[in-house]
Amino acid sequence: MSKLQKTAWFHLAVVIACVLIGGICFFALTRMNAKGVGTIVVVFVVACVSGLGTYLVRRKRGFEAHLDERERLIYKRAREWAFVATIALLAGICIVPFFILGGQSVIGVYYLPVIFLSTLFAAQFVHSAAILVQCAREDDDAQ
Amino acid sequence: MPSDHLSNQIRRLRFDNDEMTQQQLADKAGVTRQTIIAIEAGKYAPSLPLAFRIAHAFGVPLEDVFQYDADGSGPQKDSSR
Repeated sequence: MSKLQKTAWFHLAVVIACVLIGGICFFALTRMNAKGVGTIVVVFVVACVSGLGTYLVRRKRGFEAHLDERERLIYKRAREWAFVATIALLAGICIVPFFILGGQSVIGVYYLPVIFLSTLFAAQFVHSAAILVQCAREDDDAQ
Repeated sequence: MPSDHLSNQIRRLRFDNDEMTQQQLADKAGVTRQTIIAIEAGKYAPSLPLAFRIAHAFGVPLEDVFQYDADGSGPQKDSSR
């Protein structure tokens, strides 16, 4: 297993853990505060975003320098898949409720950070999964 | 990027060079073993600098390692084996 695959598995695990922990915490906190705009929720969201941001920035630095040209191609292709997934998810989240609930319905504002975070996590998830799928395909071809 | 029109003699050249392993060639060319496997299997067409590095690792000209099939009739078979 190459370093790229190991890193992709690690990122996948981190994203799944973040989604599980973040989702449970967010659900619990918004239920504790019916309005969903308590200080603790704001702190949680800021911590979540800054944590993920820092993690992503640190990961980018120097990581791609250790990849060879084929791995860079896989990485770039995975980034494109992640972008498409992000757009599709955003479109789904924003448009589907519009048709289901109707144009005059009201939704809680606390859904906005949830949408933002879920988009970030989904993008990272698809990115890691795309790397693993491409590597697995090549491994199958090589056998 | 599949190398539809590109064939290579890497396996034979490895054998001719004291049965050089894929890992040894990868270290000399500055890539991963998986990349060498992909190139050798014709699943990935290397860049020009990498192709030169591989040829340099064997100490032969580039055209001894890679051949371009202009007709597009598929990769050539290694007739030396």
